Amino acid sequence: MVDVLDLHEAEGGDFAMDEDMEIHKLKPKKKRKGRGFGPKEGSRARLSARDYDSVEQDGDGPGPQCSVEGWILFVTGVHNEATEEDIIDKFADYGEIKNIHLNLDRRTGYLKGYALLEYATHKEARAAMEGLNGQDVMGQRISVDWCFVRGPPKEKRRGGRRH
Amino acid sequence: MALARDFYWRYYVRHKGKFGHEFLEFKFWPDGKLRYANNSNYKNEVMIRKEAYTHKSVMEELTRITDDSEITTKEDDALWPPPDRVGQQELEIVIGDEHISFTTSKIGSLIDVNKSKDPEGLQVFYYLVQDLKCLVFSLIGLHFNIRQSKLYVFEAIFIFN
Repeated sequence: MVDVLDLHEAEGGDFAMDEDMEIHKLKPKKKRKGRGFGPKEGSRARLSARDYDSVEQDGDGPGPQCSVEGWILFVTGVHNEATEEDIIDKFADYGEIKNIHLNLDRRTGYLKGYALLEYATHKEARAAMEGLNGQDVMGQRISVDWCFVRGPPKEKRRGGRRH
Repeated sequence: MALARDFYWRYYVRHKGKFGHEFLEFKFWPDGKLRYANNSNYKNEVMIRKEAYTHKSVMEELTRITDDSEITTKEDDALWPPPDRVGQQELEIVIGDEHISFTTSKIGSLIDVNKSKDPEGLQVFYYLVQDLKCLVFSLIGLHFNIRQSKLYVFEAIFIFN
């Protein structure tokens, strides 16, 4: 399978080529299945790499990345019968929760098992992460991590506007 | 932060209807990079294109959801309805040594799934795609403070047009 990337549109930086070339860096020996491996019929407009908006980073080293209006945590290991209240009760101790997404399994209607949770400040988010990572909710241990991280250093990136 | 095994996810859906050519696409790379794009001419909407780097825990959850569906190990698109003029979906996933690239038509609901020649397999695809979209809409919607309804309007167009 080859995604046709219009290299003539690439800016010359290796980032523009990463868009589809990266999949070819994956180890070649794979078991392949599916009709999508045939030649692609028709063509699709290809977006060049610099067209994607991202949140401006405040540094270049590895580390958490803030979002447009706050700091988002990613929680996993959530018991599928837990309620939003169970989660809010635990996390509200660390700060005001600006947003929470506790998504459902679309087939069963139970919780899928993860949640996204946003605080306004890094301090609150970090405190919640340190306080609740590994803790128990309905007999099951949750993990709490940052949701977003910084991308690779600036020389390799293009674009990036705060939205 | 990259994961030890190879990973890659790509989902693409296109639809041609009253409001022109509409599509939605998202991709995850092994280093956590997520790219999201959707386009519709409904009410003169412009294209949304967003990029973010997700933490390893997000990639691990994506892997768990995909592994649980068993789509890479047990399913195949051979009997699924092929893409047509009206719509197309593509789902490409790499996990370790497995690499699938499935294509099929737009699926409106379980009625379409049950009418197909492989209702069980297509149902796995149908629900996995919904779960993946749910995760991606939450990631992109919260990170960029985009109202969920704006992201879901494209889904509604695909179904109700």
